[in-house]
Amino acid sequence: MTEPDRGPHPHPGMPRWLKVSLIALAVIVLVFVLLSLLGVGPDHGPSRH
Amino acid sequence: MAIPQQGRKAMLAVHLLVSIGWIGAVLSYLALGTAAAFSDDPAVIRSGWLGMELIGWWVAVPLAGASLITGIALSLLTRWGLFRHYWVVVALSLTTLCTGVLVLHMPTVSVTATEARTASPERLVELGGDLPHPTIGLVLLLAILVLNIYKPQGLTRRGWRLQQRRPRAR
Repeated sequence: MTEPDRGPHPHPGMPRWLKVSLIALAVIVLVFVLLSLLGVGPDHGPSRH
Repeated sequence: MAIPQQGRKAMLAVHLLVSIGWIGAVLSYLALGTAAAFSDDPAVIRSGWLGMELIGWWVAVPLAGASLITGIALSLLTRWGLFRHYWVVVALSLTTLCTGVLVLHMPTVSVTATEARTASPERLVELGGDLPHPTIGLVLLLAILVLNIYKPQGLTRRGWRLQQRRPRAR
């Protein structure tokens, strides 16, 4: 049985640019969901017309 | 699996051509969607939706599919791999997302364009344009472009394992 990420050179983890991008994306999605729940902004989704 | 440099360059040229062409198609779509959204002229709104339908189905969708396919092929046939580098994983995920949303959105555009063909001037003004989809799509495509140019560092766990194994194999 192997433990590939616990050897002499463990995996350094997620790079900072990706963490920042994911946080920014999460904030944007959260704002979008909140606006949708509050009924602000256009209707969305396929075949909405 | 690796391919000769000539083949890699040819495939890269095709990938760049279709990917940047896709951005151009989205910009054209955005121009028509904006014109239809902000115009009170029924003729502009009608022609805007007819143009968006044509650009969407005949330019954006084929280029999106070609970009996705050539991107996957390039990843698999070069040292970058499909799941070795975070930037490749993110670029591939965003390309798949954009292609999926585009294909799901286009039937709605066709329905609206069909309605716009015969709609009254009052109804055409109600239809307006289409700004959110091309705007968000453009932002994501530009993000993919930046990722492809800068190729930010970061190996996935799989890429890390493969890199650790490589020196021992010598």
